[in-house]
Amino acid sequence: MESLIILVVLTTLGYAFGSVIERRHFASIIAREHLLRNIMCFSARTPPSDIGPVDSQLVGGNVVISIDYFKLIAAALRGLIGGRVSAYETLVERARREAILRMKVAAQDLGATQIFNVKLETASIYNGYQQQTGSVEVYAYGTALIPHTS
Amino acid sequence: MTDYRNPPIPEGINVHPQHPLKEFFWMLAAVGIALTVAIALLIALANYLVTFVPFEMEQRLAQHMEVNYFQPGDAPPTPALIYLQSLGHSLAQAQQAPHPIRIHLLDSDDINAFATLGGHIFISRGLLEVMPNENALAMVLAHEIAHISHRDPIIATGRGLTVALAIMSLTGVGDGAMAHQLASQFSLVTQLSFSRSAEAAADLRALETLRQYYGHTLGADALFNYLVAEQGRGNALAEQPLLALLNSHPLHADRIATINAFTGSNHNGQGQLTPLPANWLAPRTD
Amino acid sequence: MFITNIEAVPGKRITQHLGMVQGNTVRAKHAGRDIMAGLKNIFGGELKGYTELLTEAREEATARMVQQAQAIGANAVINVRYSTSSISAGAAELFAYGTAVVLE
Repeated sequence: MESLIILVVLTTLGYAFGSVIERRHFASIIAREHLLRNIMCFSARTPPSDIGPVDSQLVGGNVVISIDYFKLIAAALRGLIGGRVSAYETLVERARREAILRMKVAAQDLGATQIFNVKLETASIYNGYQQQTGSVEVYAYGTALIPHTS
Repeated sequence: MTDYRNPPIPEGINVHPQHPLKEFFWMLAAVGIALTVAIALLIALANYLVTFVPFEMEQRLAQHMEVNYFQPGDAPPTPALIYLQSLGHSLAQAQQAPHPIRIHLLDSDDINAFATLGGHIFISRGLLEVMPNENALAMVLAHEIAHISHRDPIIATGRGLTVALAIMSLTGVGDGAMAHQLASQFSLVTQLSFSRSAEAAADLRALETLRQYYGHTLGADALFNYLVAEQGRGNALAEQPLLALLNSHPLHADRIATINAFTGSNHNGQGQLTPLPANWLAPRTD
Repeated sequence: MFITNIEAVPGKRITQHLGMVQGNTVRAKHAGRDIMAGLKNIFGGELKGYTELLTEAREEATARMVQQAQAIGANAVINVRYSTSSISAGAAELFAYGTAVVLE
């Protein structure tokens, strides 16, 4: 009985805090994406030949985002039914956009305006009972092109 | 000359816009209903199949457990145990119990008695100490013997095993976190406990046994009266579990009502109470 | 919508590079499929349920990526890459990304 109460309390807490954190994170991502619009990202491997004199440097950004207890239980239920695990979709979306933003900040610090050959790596970090998912890591990396300032 | 730009991408393409709580409760209801139906079916099947298990096999099963139950097995039987055994055998005869029974004493202050696999009945010292007369003790013994006659322990074991297997088969699914949670919840409910209807049936058979043995059923409600009084005094040992749902035994008040109704009918209420033998319980060792 | 995993589209000229577009989805199969897959692990062989799961997920990720590309006015996605990760046991994440472009 006690463990059932603990389960309900943890799920409620997870939902209350998790949804506030998620909403704030999305708002912050959208605001910062707007601020960093001048740094452009392309997954194309080669920059245009007519780009002019530039320096290039590898830039990257990573983030680890944890799930909350509500997401854990929702995903476990979804695991029994099957279908789209929307609890985890928002999680990886947040992680991916945050990682790209951090890569863009690194490029901005170098004075770059474009990042080419952007690649993304996702890793799930397991912990706890029976490899249950604890958090997701996303690493975004690419080659920043820094125009010569002369 | 190629144009390089990064136009803003609209939101909501990679994230499904459904409200998480709505989805959550929908899934909870679906899984809950499916699981309840599946387990109810499995229990019904197990209850049916288990009655085909011969009592001898049940005894062999119990032998494996005896190692844990009766460690000080070589101790000489106390006068209390000898008395309990003989009373138990008389009651089993009166009940025409089809299977042999064996009674064991538990050195515990809890007020507890239970029947388990292989015809073994356990009675706690705490329960014996509050018995006012032999009739009250006979009611408890006859109730547990009735469980064995009805094969309730093997039915409960079968049910527990079935549910455990059903839950375990879900362990490989998803994160396993859900199955882990469920398993811990269900182990509470399916511990070797008999269903409410089995308890009521055992009560009724016990009352019939008492009528057969003593010619009346006076004093049969003594234990429950005592428990109700102790509960009123806040004695933790007499407490019932918080939720009546989780408690397979009918409420004390209901059982007293059943006993009174039985005693009131068929002239079962006329006779003498049989006292317990003097000094039958050895004084506490501690 | 034209999708390719090479950089240039033969015979066509790229007039606009519109940046990265992404599509992702996380999917799970119902418990029955998972149990069957668990049994199959004993005997070996193809896990049809999971093949199906990953195919569906890959199609959905691609569709979402294409939807993003359409939303910003592209008519092709070049240099497309797929990545798969298991976010949790029994659930797979499929991620597709590429560069949205306008072809002549």
